[in-house]
Amino acid sequence: MNIFKKSLCAIAVGSGILIAGQAQAVNWLMVQGTEEPGSAPRAKLWGFLQPQYERTQNDKLADGPWKGQDAAFNSIGPNLDSNSQFQLRRARIGVRGAGFPLDDKINYFFLAEFGKNGITEYGDAVELTDASVTFNHIKGVRIRVGQFKTPMSEEVYQGIALFDWINFTGYAAQQLLERHLAVDGQTPCTPNLTNAKYLEACAKGNEWEAFGAARDTGIQVFDTFVFESMQDWEFSYSAMVGNGNGLNEGDKNNNKDYYLYFSAEQVYDGKRARRNGWKTFAWYTKGTREILTSSGKGLGANYREDEFDRKRWGIGTTYRKGKIRAAAEYNKAEGMIFNGVTGGAIPGNIANNVPVTAQFNILPDEEADGWYVDFGYKVLPKIELAARYDRYNRGTKNTLDVNGIGVERKYKTLTLGAQYFFNKKTRATVNYAFRDGDGQDNNTADNILDDMGDVLSFQVTAIF
Amino acid sequence: MLRQISFIALLISLLVAPLLGIASEAKPFAEKHVVLQISDPNPFKQTLVLNVAGNILKHYGSDKVDVEIVAFGPGLRLLTLGNSNTKRIDALNSEGVRFSACKNTIKAFTKKLGHAPELNPVAVPVSAGVVRIMDLVDKGYILVKP
Repeated sequence: MNIFKKSLCAIAVGSGILIAGQAQAVNWLMVQGTEEPGSAPRAKLWGFLQPQYERTQNDKLADGPWKGQDAAFNSIGPNLDSNSQFQLRRARIGVRGAGFPLDDKINYFFLAEFGKNGITEYGDAVELTDASVTFNHIKGVRIRVGQFKTPMSEEVYQGIALFDWINFTGYAAQQLLERHLAVDGQTPCTPNLTNAKYLEACAKGNEWEAFGAARDTGIQVFDTFVFESMQDWEFSYSAMVGNGNGLNEGDKNNNKDYYLYFSAEQVYDGKRARRNGWKTFAWYTKGTREILTSSGKGLGANYREDEFDRKRWGIGTTYRKGKIRAAAEYNKAEGMIFNGVTGGAIPGNIANNVPVTAQFNILPDEEADGWYVDFGYKVLPKIELAARYDRYNRGTKNTLDVNGIGVERKYKTLTLGAQYFFNKKTRATVNYAFRDGDGQDNNTADNILDDMGDVLSFQVTAIF
Repeated sequence: MLRQISFIALLISLLVAPLLGIASEAKPFAEKHVVLQISDPNPFKQTLVLNVAGNILKHYGSDKVDVEIVAFGPGLRLLTLGNSNTKRIDALNSEGVRFSACKNTIKAFTKKLGHAPELNPVAVPVSAGVVRIMDLVDKGYILVKP
């Protein structure tokens, strides 16, 4: 149960880049963090729009306390009020360049979100997504400060305007695009809860207080190297420290998040965001999250705010040459993981026979993993056909809760897609996702997930 | 007699010189002479001027055309060390395209930066970019400002 919830559509994140098209095998560290030396403009205005239409099968919850009610996974985010919806998934505008072009050792990047998605759903109507300054004075140690994307899984790290799919894979949507919740949501949300803070949060469905959007505020060192003996290869690294508390938020604790990233790429041809090449990469991130739980870190604790580890890592490869693009990744989550919505219901909805409110929730000490393979082929100069298969396993560490009920969920999604490129900056995308979920050792969850519907999506991307 | 021959030879050379046109030392067989101006801050113009130079060479053949790119004002950034177009600049230079950098602009950059800008080694400083262009035009070069 609980797959995709608000994440189904609300996970609209990413940064932008200037040119439309396919994005495999691009050095995103450099494309997003630097400008072209000697030719950076003082201020380049740019952005992109992504209007879309999406619908799912309108199957209700088949089992559990919310039986017969709307299922979160069969509703379109970010508001989850219907099973079909037109929406402006992303509308971003930004400026980038070198403020003093003669000294282009310093460049900046600024981007704001006007669309409706996970970033703005519980935030302001307009949210700042990126605001950073990069210092390129030291060879091999470029320094970037501010709020920006953290190097990680290519799926979410790439410039989102170039993402070849409309929705993210199940794993990325839930475990990489972090929702910062106030309470863990594991305690049944009834009106007689004794902790006022817990009750206040869960009664509203435990909406997220901040959205990570694969970004953080902090400082990063990075660079890319080309060696004389292997001039067609690029080797890149990044190390970063950040707050780990979501977009436009201060830190909540004294523990910082740490990010490491390495990549090696054979470059075939092209430049910047339109490059052909074959890249392999690995990344790791670790941080802690402070969250209110009813049991704290140990049984018997009574509503305590504790700090829990949150680790993510992954490896992957991307390839693009001529008509073909391909990608594959394996990702792993340890510690705090996102766990969907209680009973698969819409957050905030009350159960049928008991006064329990459905809420987003996390598992403070669990594991999850996911992988995908993605392949696209341009059958005509303006038309690409593609397929992506992804698997996502959640709650794989303890598999059973204290009552012996299975917490593990397994999801499989096959997405077929087609893109029509009007020109280099405008394209239309259609996706159809066949979704399947299983609740391990949990008949109720399994019955609910049996009705997880397919998703049909149309999207237009226009970059300016 | 020898004096007479020398005098006649000198006379002939003076008469023939205009017919030989403005053959540069590097391009003795050049039949066309072009000077390209880059003085615009728009980064796209950098690509454009290099494209134009490349296309001219491609069309006439690198031995048959003499191309000089004169950079001044904001356009001098084309010739700063580490410019993203360095590889293309080097490739064009290896085919005989000359790059001139305006000394007045270098002075202005130095004042603003607090230090002299580092230039691509292929850049040859000239007293003033616009004067260089005027001189070349006087010699018969065609001025093109992409």
